[in-house]
Amino acid sequence: MAEVVSPVPGAGRREPGEVGRARGPPVADPGAALSPQGEIIEGCRLPVLRRNQDNEDEWPLAEILSVKDISGRKLFYVHYIDFNKRLDEWVTHERLDLKKIQFPKKEAKTPTKNGLPGSRPGSPEREVKRKVEVVSPATPVPSETAPASVFPQNGAARRAVAAQPGRKRKSNCLGTDEDSQDSSDGIPSAPRMTGSLVSDRSHDDIVTRMKNIECIELGRHRLKPWYFSPYPQELTTLPVLYLCEFCLKYGRSLKCLQRHLTKCDLRHPPGNEIYRKGTISFFEIDGRKNKSYSQNLCLLAKCFLDHKTLYYDTDPFLFYVMTEYDCKGFHIVGYFSKEKESTEDYNVACILTLPPYQRRGYGKLLIEFSYELSKVEGKTGTPEKPLSDLGLLSYRSYWSQTILEILMGLKSESGERPQITINEISEITSIKKEDVISTLQYLNLINYYKGQYILTLSEDIVDGHERAMLKRLLRIDSKCLHFTPKDWSKRGKW
Amino acid sequence: MSKLSFRARALDAAKPLPIYRGKDMPDLNDCVSINRAVPQMPTGMEKEEESEHHLQRAISAQQVFREKKESMVIPVPEAESNVNYYNRLYKGEFKQPKQFIHIQPFNLDNEQPDYDMDSEDETLLNRLNRKMEIKPLQFEIMIDRLEKASSNQLVTLQEAKLLLNEDDYLIKAVYDYWVRKRKNCRGPSLIPQIKQEKRDGSTNNDPYVAFRRRTEKMQTRKNRKNDEASYEKMLKLRREFSRAITILEMIKRREKTKRELLHLTLEVVEKRYHLGDYGGEILNEVKINRSEKELYATPASLHNGNHHKVQECKTKHPHHLSLKEEASDVVRQKKKYPKKPKAEALITSQQPTPETLPVINKSDIKQYDFHSSDEDEFPQVLSPVSEPEEENDPDGPCAFRRRAGCQYYAPRLDQANHSCENSELADLDKLRYRHCLTTLTVPRRCIGFARRRIGRGGRVIMDRISTEHDPVLKQIDPEMLNSFSSSSQTIDFSSNFSRTNASSKHCENRLSLSEILSNIRSCRLQCFQPRLLNLQDSDSEECTSRKPGQTVNNKRVSAASVALLNTSKNGISVTGGITEEQFQTHQQQLVQMQRQQLAQLQQKQQSQHSSQQTHPKAQGSSTSDCMSKTLDSASAHFAASAVVSAPVPSRSEVAKEQNTGHNNINGVVQPSGTSKTLYSTNMALSSSPGISAVQLVRTVGHTTTNHLIPALCTSSPQTLPMNNSCLTNAVHLNNVSVVSPVNVHINTRTSAPSPTALKLATVAASMDRVPKVTPSSAISSIARENHEPERLGLNGIAETTVAMEVT
Repeated sequence: MAEVVSPVPGAGRREPGEVGRARGPPVADPGAALSPQGEIIEGCRLPVLRRNQDNEDEWPLAEILSVKDISGRKLFYVHYIDFNKRLDEWVTHERLDLKKIQFPKKEAKTPTKNGLPGSRPGSPEREVKRKVEVVSPATPVPSETAPASVFPQNGAARRAVAAQPGRKRKSNCLGTDEDSQDSSDGIPSAPRMTGSLVSDRSHDDIVTRMKNIECIELGRHRLKPWYFSPYPQELTTLPVLYLCEFCLKYGRSLKCLQRHLTKCDLRHPPGNEIYRKGTISFFEIDGRKNKSYSQNLCLLAKCFLDHKTLYYDTDPFLFYVMTEYDCKGFHIVGYFSKEKESTEDYNVACILTLPPYQRRGYGKLLIEFSYELSKVEGKTGTPEKPLSDLGLLSYRSYWSQTILEILMGLKSESGERPQITINEISEITSIKKEDVISTLQYLNLINYYKGQYILTLSEDIVDGHERAMLKRLLRIDSKCLHFTPKDWSKRGKW
Repeated sequence: MSKLSFRARALDAAKPLPIYRGKDMPDLNDCVSINRAVPQMPTGMEKEEESEHHLQRAISAQQVFREKKESMVIPVPEAESNVNYYNRLYKGEFKQPKQFIHIQPFNLDNEQPDYDMDSEDETLLNRLNRKMEIKPLQFEIMIDRLEKASSNQLVTLQEAKLLLNEDDYLIKAVYDYWVRKRKNCRGPSLIPQIKQEKRDGSTNNDPYVAFRRRTEKMQTRKNRKNDEASYEKMLKLRREFSRAITILEMIKRREKTKRELLHLTLEVVEKRYHLGDYGGEILNEVKINRSEKELYATPASLHNGNHHKVQECKTKHPHHLSLKEEASDVVRQKKKYPKKPKAEALITSQQPTPETLPVINKSDIKQYDFHSSDEDEFPQVLSPVSEPEEENDPDGPCAFRRRAGCQYYAPRLDQANHSCENSELADLDKLRYRHCLTTLTVPRRCIGFARRRIGRGGRVIMDRISTEHDPVLKQIDPEMLNSFSSSSQTIDFSSNFSRTNASSKHCENRLSLSEILSNIRSCRLQCFQPRLLNLQDSDSEECTSRKPGQTVNNKRVSAASVALLNTSKNGISVTGGITEEQFQTHQQQLVQMQRQQLAQLQQKQQSQHSSQQTHPKAQGSSTSDCMSKTLDSASAHFAASAVVSAPVPSRSEVAKEQNTGHNNINGVVQPSGTSKTLYSTNMALSSSPGISAVQLVRTVGHTTTNHLIPALCTSSPQTLPMNNSCLTNAVHLNNVSVVSPVNVHINTRTSAPSPTALKLATVAASMDRVPKVTPSSAISSIARENHEPERLGLNGIAETTVAMEVT
């Protein structure tokens, strides 16, 4: 699960110009751009064959983000529109439906403001730019050869491009996101220094829109990264990046990993264990004290968190790593990071369950643990925004179950109808008030009746909840938590 | 009711919400529209992503089914969990500890190389292993160092050789391989690393740069002053820590040296035990013509017969102890008579003081502190004074060395010789330092003045010298000497001594047998006699030549100053001639005299004083003149004052011949040229008793050669009279005093007394509040350092420098 950052409000408007500038250097093989028929180039949109979960063939519309030539064979990096970026992939020529290809429109800018399809920094605009560049040989791109295309550096397309044309940045600006408001005054030269998620995507470019690591081997698992991660660039060409399962150090080859393991005696995350029940443990790692592990963890996490930013160091964060123990050691399952001091009641910065462990309840366990910490601290908290799709689902699910658990546990006193305030729910659960309200809304529990708001628990809801709770076997046991919150404000900044 | 009324109220988080369940649920048809009154909360997602196909499908599915359906799950890229070589890769098992895992942050840094070998390296390694053994880790360390030492610019082969502790062939092989590999490598380093930001901001938008430092805002938001102050503090802390480290390292070195010395001493003692050298004769003889260090180690430095036992003489430690005792005694006495030193100083000028004044500078002390354990020499040039001596003298290392930053006056050699009353004796003067009155056990007789040498195979060769006194000396029987319990068997007899003594008493060139014997008895004369191995001899041995010298000195000293009193005690005990009360009375007289003298002196030569003190050498030279003049009067004075029992050598001799004397005597007798200086200094510095005390102490510590003493005696008498000439003399004396200490130090490096002396000095200084005296702490530190006589030996040079610099 990953949460997403709020987009920058001003970004939408600015995009056209920026995109134009950024896109200047085409990433793709110049040959493609030059082809007289307007052959497939970056920014083109066309249906691309993909197989869905049900193993059925679909032809969703996709945008070409990059083209590369490997031993004479062209590969196209496609983003399926209205699908999450994690599904972006390199496809071959055969999977493209060239009959329905749409070339980037020339008048990209006009639509931008209207929020029409073209408004996004999407393909049409890029196309324009592309042509301009093609004309001017000065652009660095043409000189790039195959390896260059492997590391597309030049494209500066906004990440937002990926979004559907209909979705505007503008609309985002209007959103209630606090983050977005912060940055609404313009694009700062450097991102804000609080938080862990991208609030200003003005620096997004084509590079960060594309996955750069093919495969990561971590312990028993081979992971396919979902997003870009700034591992050393020379490692991005490797078919597999080998990580030490315990210290998360990256190596070029299996041999390197072997050698590394002779020198690395870690068998658990290099931090203090603060929770253990059964095989599940949590380790607390100070991002200032253990930089190398924190950075390695962030690099790994970035592979699965779109909106995570690694722009700044890890000093202001604590990392809580959840592990599962077996005879080989404490294997990382997931983690969440947390600002030592949050000005916005965030109790989670980034949160991630590693893909091999997803959909098994670990995500909810992580979330539950984060709220346990908040309970110990005596605060309410909320995850940093934006949430990712998976993050949203997980949190909603957790909030729903937690709140329903409370509501259903309320007994009527002396025949009176049980009642509770939102504040009380918030205090009991450490879930921030706004999240309680949004959950109640989402569950459609709030109704207005006879001049006052009431909470209604329908059979439907109750049944669903009970079924879900039957499946939720992994729970945090607060008795197993040995955690003393520190007052970070007293120890200097971080 | 209008619709408006419905919608008005906002949701109040503090207001209780009644909960309706199941069948209780009211018909909410009316409420539907009202729901809108509660503003929809944002999801917290980016809008564009919010509408993503899979998410929407999942959300709607959840809302419909109230639980996730498998088909409605958001699809993600697959992950495999079937790495089949996992168990081979991660070897061994890890047992879960009972306790929660707690990690020490500093345990994390291991010094393993960051570089991990790959298979390409492995082939190289296999190839290299045919010729030599190289382990993977070794190879990785090499590459690691190379990588970390190079940035964009690769290190050169030369640099690589400096970096790597391997044999050249291996370095070359690995280096070449590394250079090749690095050139083919795409990245900036063979150790893959996250791209770092650049200061110029050019990397602000580089997606591969990560973990930038958040410097801008963090630093000085609250109060910059605090930041600066704390920064300063940190700097200071760092400095102090590094200093502490340096000091600790030095201490370590020092302690090592000490231990070494201890072992050596032990070895020596064992060897001597096996040889049956209980009296130290073999040791002494062996030490002849040895370098200074060895000299220090010799028991020759023993001063107090009372404290020393035979064996103590041999080992350095006992010396030290005895010295300490002395020191403490001296201190005590000082307290009793704090004001007397002045008068005594005058007296002392007449009497031969065995020791020079060690004046100590803070800086010197520091040096001493740090380098004490080291044997490093300061770059010192031979002073002009000592030069002539050194041509004759084999005692290179003992020679006076110039201290940088000090000014030295040229010596006046011409006057030195004239100081003797009789021109005939002038020649003998030169010899006296090298020769000492010697008696042999077999055949049992006195052979007059002789010096020992070690010949081939350890043979001891006696070089005899003929003097006028020979006929008399021949009459001396060792038994005679032995009969004096208090006197030492060995008496350092220098022609000067005898003469000076004589002159002081009778102004005769020749000494009668009785005189000589009395001299020996009173320890004014030192006589060398091989030790007997039987225990009976031990008594006599206790009072070795050094002792007598010391005792004499002590007596004088006591008369002169409180500090001296202590030594005098010892001396008294040895000679048994003088009581404390006598001393005191005498001291008081002396004090008065000295005061008068001082008054005059100060008037005329205050300026000189300071300069002289600062430049002891120069003064020394000037003093020589004075000394020569003073001889006669001094003798008379001495006779009158029973206190002064030891003959003092002429100051010129002192200045010049301390070194030589030392060599000749080699542990048997230590030149007491200093004694003179002590006295003179006392006179000069009477105002500042602290220094005098120091000097005295020093003298005590160093055994003084008897021959030197007479000269001193002579000179002092002259000064004693309150004439104008006396004043000048006094000045000279001062000079001498300053100079002499240096020499003495050089000669007697081993002599343990110095620490105690220093202590005394400090005490005295504190008591007398003399500004000139170096801070007590510093001195005490020195004393501490000196704890072991061996130490002294090691630090002899440092000591000498100290003495010289003292003002």
